[in-house]
Amino acid sequence: MKKYITGSILVFWVLSSSAFAINGNELLEKIDRNLNPESFEMYRKLINVEPDGSKKEYIMYSVKKGKDKIASLYLSPAIEKGRSTLRIGENMWLYIPNVGRPIRITSMQSVTGGIFNNADIMRLDYNQEYNCEKVEKSKGQYLLHLKAKTRAIAYDRVKMWADDKKLLPAKIECFASSGILLKTLHFKEIKAFGGGVVRPSVIETDSPLHKGYRSIMIFAKVKAIDLKDEVFTLTFMPKLESLR
Amino acid sequence: MKYLRSHSCPSWSRYDKGVVGKRKLLKILLSFFVLFPQFILAQEKYSFDLSEIEKEIEKKPYSISGYVEFRPTFYWLDDDAAFYNPDFYDRSNRSRLDEYNFGLLLDASYEKGIGGFFLRTYIDAVESEIESDAEAKIFEGYMSLKPSPFFTVDLGKKTLNWGKGYAWNPVGFLQRPKNPEDPNLPREGFIVASADYIKSFNGPLQTVTITPVLIPVHEDINDDFGEINHVNFAGKLYLLFYDTDIDFMFLTEGSKTSRLGVDFSRNITTNFEIHGEFAFINSFEKKFVDSNGNLFDETFDAKSYLVGIRYLTPFDTTFICEYYRNGTGFTTNEMENFYAFVDKDYDISLTSDDDSLLRNAASFAEESYSKRNPMQDYLYLRISQKEPFDILYFTPSITWIYNLNDE
Repeated sequence: MKKYITGSILVFWVLSSSAFAINGNELLEKIDRNLNPESFEMYRKLINVEPDGSKKEYIMYSVKKGKDKIASLYLSPAIEKGRSTLRIGENMWLYIPNVGRPIRITSMQSVTGGIFNNADIMRLDYNQEYNCEKVEKSKGQYLLHLKAKTRAIAYDRVKMWADDKKLLPAKIECFASSGILLKTLHFKEIKAFGGGVVRPSVIETDSPLHKGYRSIMIFAKVKAIDLKDEVFTLTFMPKLESLR
Repeated sequence: MKYLRSHSCPSWSRYDKGVVGKRKLLKILLSFFVLFPQFILAQEKYSFDLSEIEKEIEKKPYSISGYVEFRPTFYWLDDDAAFYNPDFYDRSNRSRLDEYNFGLLLDASYEKGIGGFFLRTYIDAVESEIESDAEAKIFEGYMSLKPSPFFTVDLGKKTLNWGKGYAWNPVGFLQRPKNPEDPNLPREGFIVASADYIKSFNGPLQTVTITPVLIPVHEDINDDFGEINHVNFAGKLYLLFYDTDIDFMFLTEGSKTSRLGVDFSRNITTNFEIHGEFAFINSFEKKFVDSNGNLFDETFDAKSYLVGIRYLTPFDTTFICEYYRNGTGFTTNEMENFYAFVDKDYDISLTSDDDSLLRNAASFAEESYSKRNPMQDYLYLRISQKEPFDILYFTPSITWIYNLNDE
């Protein structure tokens, strides 16, 4: 009888462990869908805060389609107005009205400065870039261990803590391939945006590499819309304003 | 002589190209972009108001924006340079020149429905010990019709920036040349009728864009583009193919001889990009002088190209490096003949007290030899450091341009 119970526990443990391993990527996909619809528009305010409390603020309009297309238009400050960025998979471009043509940029650069880099500002779905290698569950949270699918991804490894009921991230740690912690993202202020979109309206980040600096991203008017693929092209970058 | 006379950067004057531009051309520019924070407010917890943000993002059909810039430039003049005498023949023993440039750019736009109007004006003033000038220009002013995201028609004065190079664009058949010292300066466009047709696909070929362009050149329209009384036809085909940007472009014969071009750009890793351009210019006509000032013509098919990289280090240092082969440029021998011609004229003007020959040489230099990059092989290096010593929004840079044919 003792053997039978021990055997059953072992079988259950193995099955439940393997079930989590199999479902890690599905769980990640659900988290992605809860963060935003597949095709949507949104406004974001990005605030970079320095150790002395001084700030620099940006407002941008963004549209995203599918898993790997996102475009953003800078609305303020005046010096950045009209700039736009486009990401298709791991390809990224920056359009500056003065320069008059899109130039390629890289994910590790930062158009805005501060802690957020281009990969953070033009984030694709997590399941597009990462495989979930392991899921741990504790105290109402999942901890997902993510590994970049290719070397072209900005962070080699990511740890994501997500609420087990809402399936929304609460904290994300981003690591370099050397294992160094590059930054931590804190997801806050869950808000209903309408159309069934309920997600954190604030992401705050800090980095041990930039002690005392913080960057904050505030979301507004997140709305599902239909978008043509042609919106996500270099030729359309100067014309993004017409979508608003 | 077919050439593009640039009006885009009025501050770029003859002594820029000549005296400072000769010998081992070494230019160091320190650019400081310091954006002052809007608020000085120390607080532990950041608070925000979404309704305030929604007010800020309200869209208006019109928009007006612009900027003012002040650009001081300090030149150390090389009095051994061939262009020193024609440029400074009436200003004895000048070894330094300080120049102050002021710019005011204004953008205005109005959009309603499928139509829109865009206007860009630029007022440029330069003040130095030898020059004081100011001018206002309409850089762009065109109407745009966009019946769908796939299709746009533009009509009016517009800047078409073709090519992937940072400092030079050999395939920029329809644009005024860049100032390699500051390639991002706004430039004046030409009056054109153009269209864009975009098509997206799934698979290795993700985007195709076709851009046909008409450029009329008459006595009062685009007369600095080339030979007048022609309506020129040009076009560009853009592909995003296997994660690589590829453009093919052409300009048919008319105000200029016909030309073909191709360019590409691709990210190799998350911090490394490569790009290149190649242009074939049919029957290019080059005019040059011998050491006695006799004028010669040579017609040949010219090939120009550029290869470059952009590399971001883990310490946020960006390197942009380019090699430019200017197939229409002068050889070392042709430049030496020109310098000998200038020196001869200078010697004559010293002994005869008549500077008319030197003025002629200066005039000829202005037309042909003092183009921004008159010779054939150039290297460009720009190093910029983002936020050194944790000073946010501060990006100093150093630019180095080297003429490989300068012996």
